[in-house]
Parts: sequence; structure tokens; C-alpha cells
Amino acid sequence: MANNNLMVGLEIGTSKICVVVGESRPDGTLKILGVGQAPSRGVRKGEIVDFETAMKCVHEAVVDAEQKSDVMIKSVYVAVAGSHLQSFNNRGCVMLPEDRDEIDEQDVEDVKINAREVSIPAQNAFLHSVIQHYQVDGQQGILNPVGMLGEKLEADFHIVHGVRTRIQNTIRCVKELPLDVEDVVFSGLASAQVVLTQNEKDLGALVVDMGGGTTDYVLYSEGAVRQSGCLAVGGDHITNDISMGLRIPMARAEKLKTEEGSCVLGNCLPGEMILLKDDSGFAGKEVERETLNTIIHLRLREAFELLKRRLEEEPYLGYLGAGIFITGGCSLLSGIDHLAADIFEIPANLTHAQAAWGVTSAVENPQFSTAIGLVKFAQVMHTDRPSRGFGRIFRGLFSGKR
Amino acid sequence: MIQLNKNYTLPERLAEFIPIKIVSVGGAGLNALDRIVLDGLERADVVAINTDVHSLTSSVATRKVQLGRSVSRGLGAGGDPDVGYQAALESAEEIREALTDARVIFICAGLGGGTGSGAAPYIAQAAREAGALVIAFATLPFGFEGKRRNVQAREALVRLSEFAHAVVCFDNDRMGDLSPPQAGIHQAFALADMTISQSVRSIVNLIQRPGLIRIGFDDLLAALRTRNSRCVFGYGEADSDNRAHEALKQALKNPLMDRGRMLADATHVLVQVAGGPSVTLSEVEILMQELGRHVSDQTQILFGAVVDARLGDRLSVTIISSLSEEEDAVLTHHAPSSASAVSQVRESYQAATAEPEIQSEEPTVEVQPLAETIPFEQTVSAEAPPVATSIPIESPVETARNGEPEPPTTTPQEKPVRWKEEKAPAEKSETPAKQEVLQFEPVTRGRFEKSEPTIIEGEDLDVPTYLRKNIKVK
Repeated sequence: MANNNLMVGLEIGTSKICVVVGESRPDGTLKILGVGQAPSRGVRKGEIVDFETAMKCVHEAVVDAEQKSDVMIKSVYVAVAGSHLQSFNNRGCVMLPEDRDEIDEQDVEDVKINAREVSIPAQNAFLHSVIQHYQVDGQQGILNPVGMLGEKLEADFHIVHGVRTRIQNTIRCVKELPLDVEDVVFSGLASAQVVLTQNEKDLGALVVDMGGGTTDYVLYSEGAVRQSGCLAVGGDHITNDISMGLRIPMARAEKLKTEEGSCVLGNCLPGEMILLKDDSGFAGKEVERETLNTIIHLRLREAFELLKRRLEEEPYLGYLGAGIFITGGCSLLSGIDHLAADIFEIPANLTHAQAAWGVTSAVENPQFSTAIGLVKFAQVMHTDRPSRGFGRIFRGLFSGKR
Repeated sequence: MIQLNKNYTLPERLAEFIPIKIVSVGGAGLNALDRIVLDGLERADVVAINTDVHSLTSSVATRKVQLGRSVSRGLGAGGDPDVGYQAALESAEEIREALTDARVIFICAGLGGGTGSGAAPYIAQAAREAGALVIAFATLPFGFEGKRRNVQAREALVRLSEFAHAVVCFDNDRMGDLSPPQAGIHQAFALADMTISQSVRSIVNLIQRPGLIRIGFDDLLAALRTRNSRCVFGYGEADSDNRAHEALKQALKNPLMDRGRMLADATHVLVQVAGGPSVTLSEVEILMQELGRHVSDQTQILFGAVVDARLGDRLSVTIISSLSEEEDAVLTHHAPSSASAVSQVRESYQAATAEPEIQSEEPTVEVQPLAETIPFEQTVSAEAPPVATSIPIESPVETARNGEPEPPTTTPQEKPVRWKEEKAPAEKSETPAKQEVLQFEPVTRGRFEKSEPTIIEGEDLDVPTYLRKNIKVK
């Protein structure tokens, strides 16, 4: 079953682990062959806290994916998340030697290395450096400078970095199975690959991937990544709030959230109650719908407001022509798009993976955005198309083998 | 009457200043002292005492005392504690002179050699006779320095702990773990000096900083119970978003702490959290909760909180404790009558007071012992063999004041101002701050109890939003 065009994305999420097997078609499209998933244990806020347990869950999910897609999985692209991930924009600059004025590939490599020469904390490692734009002799907005004439080449990069050991934990968990890790990708960036079209990236868009443990965000403007990051607040927090506020077990709270939860206030009858059934089906406790919604609303509002404050540190929020795109498991909560639109004062859409076809049920589920995004990312890497939006990743930085 | 008392105490508390002296004895002590001075220390006098003129001249201390002009003739004590003791006796007058006008005296000495082992206990005695609170910082020699030196050090330690109110002891063998194995020997020694310097400075700060929840001498003494010569000490500082977590982690990283494992057996743990104005209550909550996992239920936590604008965004944690009796069994073959009696009394008392406290692990419940441990300190000073200062005389008055809710009949102005005296009013005025904390509902983080806290903009996001925003949902 050796097939060079097979690519696998693995996301170790806080609530579930999903494995997506995709195939790159000659015409450049992406076909999803199968999706495997398993409930996740031993993961908190996007990071592994119980290694053994998490490993078992990953194994389960991989086996599931193998069965459903009928392929042998040997290597995967892995998504990483967690509050330790940070990003910033930096400019690199190289001067061409006196005797030459045509910019070549080497200069482009050099300028990227130059851009990375910034101090990040000693324990951190670079995860991505994504090219935004090149400048040649002060001329702005150049997408590919190779072959151009000039004396000075500058480049703006968006750099994502995180704590090395925490990223390695995720990699090790996969390697122990054993599976090869092709690359690690920041999960927000992966989601953005399939959620946004090129047109939307050019117009300016904010992707908010709200998962179980973390909320990853990536802001595009003029086709380039401007801001990205990870907020360690997610659906788990909502469930926890419900569990504590209504004094019901976590499992019950989770069910209540997905079945009845909404973040719209004042949309239900006064005194409207939800009947909680216990395991045997007998009527148990009653909770007021408005209470449930208030808890969810407050948490989400806070998360969005926090996000907004973070994004407002730079001026790009005002230039989002395409609006906000919400994906991830939490986007299934009813009313979340209205809440986001209300807070950011920008139109918000619920979305899922767009640029893929195949197992439709999976593609249309926003929970799989990141995993499908990984496959898309892999496709871009494989075909080695000159890709805007992605820089080459430091291979071998995280994986010992290569 | 009550009104007058209040008016009187407030300005006094703000202006409170406790004269502190740091005295170093012997060559190792001088090294540590230089480090302390170089690291920068406010509001404390430093005195260098040694037999060796050569090392004295190179010391940065402002005040220097040469011991035994005729006994050792300006040379060292030659590793003989007797020579060190004789030298100290000869210069007794100068020592006494140097030790006057201090309420707290820190003595730094490297035990095992001549001057440190011989003179330090004598100086401790003199300091105590001068009516000061004496805290000794002693280093024990490396194992490779020979059995004889180690025996001398142990004997000196026993004598030192008889006279000093508290002894903080650093085992050089353990300090070796501080530096990475490939580090040069000078680096290892510098690190050892730095640890001592850090602990001296943090204790000085502990006493000098006016706190929201103050840590007093009594707390300090409780944490450094006299007979325990091995001290657990940790200091951490951080300024990131998650600073509470990181500062604690750093404090527990100290090898003397053994990653917090050493705290498991401690009967008393003194914790001071200091930070700039931006420190939030939830940060302190988190920190104390995390620390709570390292200590046993029986442990009495003496908690202090300080807001110091000079710290800026930083948050620092100081943890001080001593090892429990069993851990210390090696050193307990001595039994100085007064000291052990005192500590036994203390123990039985603490057994009694510890009971109501361990019900909830709230740091805030410390209100009680803070006020009540004062009598201990007085027992100590009352039993202090040769002391005849005014402290014991005052203590009945003090005890009476604590025992009865009514204010004393004398006007505050008439009372002699001693450090003991200043403490009680200070505590009174702090009571509201503590009660405030008590009112705060013990917040739980539910599912995230054991995970790394998410603190953004000073708020612990793991705590449900409606709880933090104080919105009633039911």
C-alpha cells in the first residue's frame, strides 16, 4: 500500500485525538480517505500531562484510522498547542555583495536566517517562521524576490516559538508508538490552511479554533500571517464551569453543554427548566436553562474579550475584510458566532474544512479542522510548491532522527 | 483609650525600623559577608571579625574587629578552636562594643576551622547578652576535609545553637549539588556564598518589610526551631504571566529543598510572598495551594505577604523551614538543658495549636498563631541563661495584653519601646487584612486542580468566570 501521496495528520487534542488520512490527487486537490478518533485522556489544555495514558489513546486513534482508511500509517504530521506558544513579527535584512545585484535563492535563505537572529528564551525553540513579504531596496510587497535586481533584501517574518521540552513531549508520545513524525505544526496555523481560502487570506481574516483545552488564533492580513497564538481556555473550561455552577458531574456537564448549551442570553422562557436524566433514565435534577446559558455566556465572553485585547496590541484587527472564522469543537455551541460578532464588531462565521473532499461527514465537522489542516499542510510540503504563508520549517530541530 | 491607642500605633508602624547587624566570623564567614555586601543590602550594618589580619584588610566590611592580638599575633587560629576561643576572650571588649545597638544580629561563620568554631559561639553569647535576637548562619565543612574538622564543626554547632536563637545551617556537601558537576571549584564556592547571602538578605527583608500580613520574629523562630541545625531554604522570583507558579518552582528547585520533598517532614514552614502592587489575591491563592501539596497536613504554615513597589512586576517567594527531629537525629546527642526544655514546651504547645488549624489548609488561618506564638519567644528569652535585659521584664505585660482584650491602663507613650512592643500593635492593625482574605471563598479550579494554572492579566482563568466576576448564577 505504499503510496507517496498519502499523508496523515494527527492532533492530540484535549477532548479527543483525531487522525486524518488524506491523499493528494494529481490535480492538486485533497481527498480524505478516513478519519480515526479516540477520546483523549491525560491531556490538559492542549498539553500531555499523563504520558502513558495519552500514548494509549493515540494508539487507539491511529488503529481506528488505519481500519477506516485501510492504509498502514507510518509517519504523521503532528499538531502542537499550548499556552507556551508565542509569536512575534521580525524583519531580516541582507546586503548583496558589491559585484552582484541579482537576488538568488541563497539570499532568500540568508534573509530568513537573519530574521531568526532574535533572542527568544533559552528554553524555547523556533516552530515556524512564516514569510509575510519581501522588500527589495525599500520596494514593498514583493512576493518572490528571486531573480530581481537590488542591493538590499529585507523580509518580514512571523515567527512562532514555544518551550522546546513541551513540544518534544508531544513528539515523543508519537515516536514511542512507534510512528515517524514528519513535522510539527502549530495547530492554529494548520486549521487556517483549510478553513480559509486564499481570497479570504488576502482580504484579511481571523481564524479562531476553539477546541477542548485551548483556543488557537491566527490573523491574516494581505495574505500573510500577522498574529497568532494560543489561549489556554477552551470547551473544557466551559464544562468545568457548568459542573461547578450546577453541581453536576463533569460527564453530565459535558453532555448538557453539547445537547442544550447556548451562549445566547434572554432567549428562553422565564423559568424554563431542563430535566436531567440520570443513568437509568429516571428523572433527576432540574436546572434552569437561563443559568446554564449564563455560565457559558460569561466564559465565552471573557475568552473573546481576552482575545480581542491581545489582538488589539497590533493594528490589524481593523483590516479584516473577510471577518472572523470560528472553528473547532466549541464552534458547535449555538450562538457563538453572534457573540463573537458582538464583541469584535466584525462579522463572524462558523466554518469547517473547505479545501478537501472525500469523507464528507468528517470534512464538514469543525472538530476536524486542525487534523485536516495538517494533511493540507503536508500536501503543501510534499508537492513543494512555492507556498506563501509557509516558511520551511527547521527540520531535525525537534526530531532526533533527521 | 482605644482610640488613642490606634492613633498612636499607626505612624509608629510605618516608621518602624529594626537595627540589624551582620557579623561574620572567620575566613569562610568573611567570604559570605563580602558576597552579601556586594549583592547589595539595605539597612544593615556589617561587622567582620577574624583572627587573620590579612583577610580582614581585604574585606569590604565597614567595621572590622581583630581577635587575639597576643594569642594569634595577627595570624589565623590554625584550625584550633581553642585558639579561636582564647582569641575571642582576649578581644571580648571590642566584640561587645561592635555588637551594641542592634536588635537583630546575624552571625555568619564557617564551622570546622579555628576562628569560626572557636569564636562564633562566644560571639553569639555576647550578642545575646547585648539583648539582641541572634540568628546564626553556619556552614559545615565538606566531607573530604577530614573527620576531625567535621567533629569540631559539630561541636561548635552544638555550642552555637545553645546561644543563638536560631541556627541556619548549610551543609557544604549538600551545597555541592548547587553547581553543575563540570563547574569550577571557585564557581561552586561562589554559589555556596550566594545561597547564604540570599538567605540572609531574604530574612533581613522579611523582618524589615512592612507586610500586609507580617512575619514577625516569633514566626521566624518557630520556623527555625532552635535545635534543628539543618535548614531548608528556598527563594524564587519570577515576572512572567504565570509568576506565582514559576517563583514557587524556582524556590523549590533549591537543592536544600530537594524539590520540595524536604518540606514534607517539616513541622513549620514559613512562607513570605512579596510582590509589586500588581500581585493579585488569586496568585497568592495558587501559590499557597501548590505549596500545600508539598507539606503534610500537620505542618503549620506561617504565612506572610508583602507589597513592595520596588519589586515592580516581580513576585518573590521565600520559604524557610527546618528539618524535623527525626531527620536531625544525628545531631541530637547533645542535650542542653534549657534549650531542649524550651523546645519541648514549644512542641507540646504547637501540638495544641496545630489542631484547629489543619482543618482547612488556608494560609489565612495564621491569625491565631501569629498572636499566640509570642509567648514562646518570651519563654526563650526568659530562659536565656545569662541575659538580663528588659525583654523578660516586659514579657508579662505583653502576655497580659495578648491574653486580655482590654488595652493596658498605661498610656502607650509611657511604655519603653522595644521590638516586642511594636509587634503587637502592628498585628492588631493587620487583623482586617487577614479577615478580608478569610471572607474570600475558597475557590476551586475543579478539573484543572492539578494542571498548570492559566493566569492571564492577573486572573486565574481556571476558576469559573461567574465566580471571579461575582455573578450569582443560582
